[in-house]
Amino acid sequence: MTYPPGNPYGGQPGPGGNPYGQPQPGYGQPPPGYGQPPPGYGQPPPGYGQPPPGHGQPQPGYGGPPQPAAGPTGTTLNPQTLPDDDNVNPYVFCVSLSGDWFMSKGAMLAYYGNVRFEAVTEYSSVQGWVAARFSSPVYVQDWVVATGHGKVLIGDRGFDLNAYDLDDGNLTIKANNLCAFSPQLELKQSIVPGFVTLIGTGKFIASSNGPVIFVEPPFRADPEALLGWADCPSPSVHHDAQWMTQNIRAMVSGALGRASGEERQYDFTGTGTILLQSSEVAREDPAVLRLVESQTQLLTPSQAGSLGQRLVARAQQQH
Amino acid sequence: MAQLTAHKRVLHADLQGDRIRAASGSMVAVEGNVDFKSAGMGGGGGMRAALKRAVAGESISLMDCTGHGRVYLALDAMDVLVVDLAGDTLTVESEHILAHTEQLRLDVQFAGLRGVTSGQGLATTTVTGHGQVALVSEGPVMALEVAPGQDLVVDPDAYVGSRGQLSMNLVSGVSWKSLVGEGSGEPFSLRFTGHGLVLVQSSER
Repeated sequence: MTYPPGNPYGGQPGPGGNPYGQPQPGYGQPPPGYGQPPPGYGQPPPGYGQPPPGHGQPQPGYGGPPQPAAGPTGTTLNPQTLPDDDNVNPYVFCVSLSGDWFMSKGAMLAYYGNVRFEAVTEYSSVQGWVAARFSSPVYVQDWVVATGHGKVLIGDRGFDLNAYDLDDGNLTIKANNLCAFSPQLELKQSIVPGFVTLIGTGKFIASSNGPVIFVEPPFRADPEALLGWADCPSPSVHHDAQWMTQNIRAMVSGALGRASGEERQYDFTGTGTILLQSSEVAREDPAVLRLVESQTQLLTPSQAGSLGQRLVARAQQQH
Repeated sequence: MAQLTAHKRVLHADLQGDRIRAASGSMVAVEGNVDFKSAGMGGGGGMRAALKRAVAGESISLMDCTGHGRVYLALDAMDVLVVDLAGDTLTVESEHILAHTEQLRLDVQFAGLRGVTSGQGLATTTVTGHGQVALVSEGPVMALEVAPGQDLVVDPDAYVGSRGQLSMNLVSGVSWKSLVGEGSGEPFSLRFTGHGLVLVQSSER
């Protein structure tokens, strides 16, 4: 594990000042370093709700007794005090919508204003550009287009949320962790299952369980902890040498091999930046099933049959 | 008088010979001389509220903590927020109540259809009186202001509670259905109008 020198979370990802941008903490506090627990674990989120000048007071004005502020933050939020395209707190991002944005289904927490949400599948028949921007049939049913004017708050399972600016760049990210992106960006499906690539110039918002860690290749990452990568070539799969020795015989005989999870890593080479999150807890991604299923078209009918039998056997083993 | 203080993800309840009610099983540590007694299915509000609660499915199981000392309360490492009430009413989902001081009254308010769809019970709980109530949430709570011409739409799963003169409407539209997806549970959103504050947590499920 080699971290680029002088690369704290939120700092410059590399000496070259990579254009896809560091996460913008935006909540007015330098994020903690690697060695510390992710914010929010036994520690109040730093700087959450720093009252903007003139809004530190509870807002009177609705009937009844004067309402004390709802929380220890001493501040309430409204469309005027919500930030423009910035974090409200480490876990919530506010998109100042004026036009269209792509959003992951379920990422929206609340919104002010006049906003409509259209399924990408339906919106693309009305607006031709949508299909050109969203070229990933596997993920299309998990996304919507938000159109209109207003402030949209998005969050993802209470994970840390960061905005990234791409400047004529490309960044591949775990599809599960991508929450929203501006329509100037183009989404494509990565060769690596479960990942999508964003290309172009624009902003996107992604979640991470714990702060994002930036690493430079050569590097091997655990597939679960891998959040994404930028600029470097897509990874190859590396298997632990000892595991290989033990399993080569089994592989020859056609078995799929047992997996403890640690013997398989993604191997990165070339130049670029790798993004990691501190957790390995993965959420079931419904798109992976569709993805794998679409790959089975490569199989002949008899191959498909024997794969089916193996899958049935595996399902029975696990129950 | 008992004092509730949010301390990171733990609530400190300082008792001076009086009583608070806390969610059953939320005690993690105690200093001093404090007695714990299950308050049963009551949750305050007497028989009438208990009956309404049973009908509505708004379940809440509280315990009485009485004595002198400090009780440490926590629930699933969720964020804790203390709300001070001065005679006004806080509407809150019962699952978000961690503790409240003795002088507050809990009651059940029927919320119409909303509960059926969100799986959070047919009704919400109202907390009225002078005192403190401690809420738990997934991620910090945001207090979003609602004013005329400034309606707020909230995902039912992110909704924690509200206070002020608010009316809550169910919104079911093609737009919303496409946002949450067919069959993913939440075909309705909540639209708040009027004057008040809506408390929203940062996790949607």
